[in-house]
Amino acid sequence: MRPLLGWAVKLGLVGLVLFAGFAVYLDAIVQEKFSGKRWTVPAKVYARPLELFVGQKLAKDDLLKEMDALGYRRESVANGPGAVAVSGNNVSLHSRGFQFYESAEQAQQVNVRFSGDYVASLTKADGKDLAVARLEPMLIGGLYPAHQEDRVLIKLDQVPAYLVETLVAVEDRDFFEHFGVSPKGIARAVWVNASAGQLRQGGSTLTQQLVKNFYLTNERSLTRKITEAMMAVLLELHYDKREILEAYLNEVFLGQDGQRAVHGFGLASQYFFSQPLSELKLEQVALLVGMVKGPTFYNPRRNPERALNRRNMILDLLAEQGVVSPEEAAAAKARPLGVTQRGSMANGSFPAFLDLVKRQLRQDYRDEDLTEEGLRIFTSFDPILQLKAEEALAETFKRQAGRKGSDEVEAGMVVTNPETGEIQALIGSRQPRFAGFNRALDAVRPIGSLIKPAIYLTALERPSQYTLTTRIQDEPFSVKGQDGQVWRPQNYDRKAHGSIYLYQGLAHSYNLSTAKLGLELGVPNVLKTLERLGVSRQWPAYPSMLLGAGALTPMEVTGMYQTIANGGFNTPLRGIRSVLTAEGEPLRRYPYQIQQRFDAGAIYLLQNAMQRTMREGTGRSVYSQLPSSLTLAGKTGTSNDSRDSWFAGFSQDLLTVVWMGRDDNGPTPFTGATGALQAWTGFMRRADPLPLDMPVPDNVVVAWVDAATGQGSAQNCPGAVQMPYIRGSEPAPGTGCGIQAPVDSVMDWVKGWLE
Amino acid sequence: MNKWLIPVLTASVVLGGCASVPRGSIPVVDSGSSAYEQDDRPGGGYNNAPAQAQQPQAMPEDSGVVVMVPGGGAPSAPIDTYAAPAGAPANGGGLTFDEPPLSSEPLGSPSYGNSAPSQPSTPSGIPSGNTGGGLAADEQLDGPVLALLTSAQQQQTGGDLNGAASSLERAQRIAPREPQVLYRLAEVRLAQGDAAQAEQFARRGLSYANGRPALQASLWDLIAKARQQQGDAAGAAQARERARVNL
Repeated sequence: MRPLLGWAVKLGLVGLVLFAGFAVYLDAIVQEKFSGKRWTVPAKVYARPLELFVGQKLAKDDLLKEMDALGYRRESVANGPGAVAVSGNNVSLHSRGFQFYESAEQAQQVNVRFSGDYVASLTKADGKDLAVARLEPMLIGGLYPAHQEDRVLIKLDQVPAYLVETLVAVEDRDFFEHFGVSPKGIARAVWVNASAGQLRQGGSTLTQQLVKNFYLTNERSLTRKITEAMMAVLLELHYDKREILEAYLNEVFLGQDGQRAVHGFGLASQYFFSQPLSELKLEQVALLVGMVKGPTFYNPRRNPERALNRRNMILDLLAEQGVVSPEEAAAAKARPLGVTQRGSMANGSFPAFLDLVKRQLRQDYRDEDLTEEGLRIFTSFDPILQLKAEEALAETFKRQAGRKGSDEVEAGMVVTNPETGEIQALIGSRQPRFAGFNRALDAVRPIGSLIKPAIYLTALERPSQYTLTTRIQDEPFSVKGQDGQVWRPQNYDRKAHGSIYLYQGLAHSYNLSTAKLGLELGVPNVLKTLERLGVSRQWPAYPSMLLGAGALTPMEVTGMYQTIANGGFNTPLRGIRSVLTAEGEPLRRYPYQIQQRFDAGAIYLLQNAMQRTMREGTGRSVYSQLPSSLTLAGKTGTSNDSRDSWFAGFSQDLLTVVWMGRDDNGPTPFTGATGALQAWTGFMRRADPLPLDMPVPDNVVVAWVDAATGQGSAQNCPGAVQMPYIRGSEPAPGTGCGIQAPVDSVMDWVKGWLE
Repeated sequence: MNKWLIPVLTASVVLGGCASVPRGSIPVVDSGSSAYEQDDRPGGGYNNAPAQAQQPQAMPEDSGVVVMVPGGGAPSAPIDTYAAPAGAPANGGGLTFDEPPLSSEPLGSPSYGNSAPSQPSTPSGIPSGNTGGGLAADEQLDGPVLALLTSAQQQQTGGDLNGAASSLERAQRIAPREPQVLYRLAEVRLAQGDAAQAEQFARRGLSYANGRPALQASLWDLIAKARQQQGDAAGAAQARERARVNL
């Protein structure tokens, strides 16, 4: 008897010690994970912030579209962050404030008055003028680690009214009283389940739920349940209710977005309502809390009715428990679910642009930094232009639908601002919302006639030899290449056009005259020009290169045309502006860099010829859709048999390059003017850019010439047209068209001659 | 019994000790990646100038440029370190160069060529749409550009050159063809030790500065400094000559 008791005592003591040891061990785990960095947060990628200032070209509808995407609430008075009131041409908004690289934007009331598509006035709440204001930038994506957990961390003081009350009322009524586990809650659950005859209510406290998600696996067993309870008690021992609640709010799983797991109320608020958590209203709070029980089952996008019932049940419960009045609950129940549409601007995914951003970031950061440190990446992405580009492309595909081979046609599109070198929109596929082969960056295709501006620029840099009105011959010829093959170029229409002006060769994209000109200049010289324009590929100096046998990606073509559009200044195209740490500290900037590569005069002349391409040449069909006041410059490009359809062109503030073709390089149903040009025109029509207006460089004079002869003429002569020349290369002024030669023009001629 | 206790206690202490090592709080800055240079100059690019330590901005001594910023304690005093040339109006109404009293002069005045009088609401962010005369409507900096140049100036004075450059790029996005913005960008680049980019921005500024001789002179002067810094004495002398001609 005695030895037995002794053994029992000994065993009991051992058990106690083992239990204590286990508790110490659990305690260490609990503290270790809770005191360190609790979560890794993926880098967040933001669009450009929409700037507001007087004189800005901005359509009211575009502003409202962006504000909808940012989750602004339409109200009668904009009396708090995230609210907007619209009346006629006035938009009164209360911005939310944001930390940018160079400065913090304060949340403030901003009154915008529109006049046409311009901002006519910008004032503060007190009516005083406001110089400039920014909306917060739209979140366009994140860089997720392998397990793809995403969250927007929130603090307890950022949560909206009713969130904590609702959560406690629904999930754990005794949260503020219990010590981690709630015997009362278990008893109630047992009672409810027993009387209902089915499993209706769990007895887990919020603390236990947190422990389960935070430390344990999903396994269902008694030991796990005991461990969970022990850890919950330990957690409560070390941390106060507020900390536990805050952790819970950030940890709880609330939905699955494809590969991405939506964790925490902060992200869920953005994901379902496109609004910051702090702005949510009672019914929105009720919906999110209701989803805790079954994020997939109650997903408001997939199962709206189920979600609505759950939400209303919770609102009833709140009224029952006296958290809200019955009237408040009834009013909230009358409101719709209010979740944003997937695929709208707010919930859009822009895989092509994000791909670009990731590639740049991977050059500069380690993967862990991008996926764990919550970096904030500020980009130049313009969601308004992106949607317009997507619409234009969709329209083009729709128009071509049904033609032979049109289903296999793919597309890539790049939109930049030539004056800043920033990439504003990017499309990598005919289905721009699906990630995949990013043709804007990776499709390397023969550029065809897009190379021609490089040939003409090479010529125009030699003003003593070539002007826009130099006569060149558009005639058949053949040359023997280095490989012994005879090269015999042909025009698109298979005709020769005889003696033409130099600019006409470009405007009409004649192959014969252009190839001949290129051979005169020397293929290596043309390739050198191409390199100065920003093309870094090494091509052999074969004559066929002169007609675009070389292949480039849409992005490379954009870089090349960027130099032409920006007055001869080359700039590396940028998609990222700056990077901040999770705390808002500046980390890195991607500054604007330029380098002058060409004389402004030669570029001015080239732009003039490219404007003529649009007015009278291969691009003239654009003016059936665009106003003639919109000066544009551009170039069509078609490779052999229309396998590649290109268009590259620009206004003052927009450069757009479109490629269309098939991945398998098969034939397509269009020509240079019906494929890419159509999409380009559709985009420009929607974007409504500023007309091209390059200042006349010092070394350029504009002379009157006879359109028929290219000789100098007087302004009042029939057929006289204005043509720019590098100073000194202009034709001698005409002596007038009638008998009376204006004296001053003779004087000018003498002066010109003396100079 | 003690024999039983010792391993158990040891085990629990060891376990506890192992488990309580704080983890995961490695700050971003310690990751040792080159990404964390707070530098305006990524590798490659156009920086053929030898990298130089950032230094306090070397302000031009006595060129003709007066950058005046309203507000602050002394609204009429230029906040740049160099003085206004004699005769330059020291009005506090706008950020101007030392051309006629721009901020008080009606737009479209004869000295700016042929552009029709623009509506007062014509913004600086929009090309004036005129055909010859250049940037008459932009001559008076107002609204957003003035505000951003002012913050850039404050950031630069406070030693935050990256912030200043960032504010100036913001201004450049709003008014891409305003040579005064490009001039300031060039100044800040020079202060950051990137003389090559400083020269490029000044050259870009020149392409938009037709009909504004004082501004042209300042831009040439800046080019001279940038070339000097790049060790191109002959080019600097040439640029200085251009600056004189334009004045």
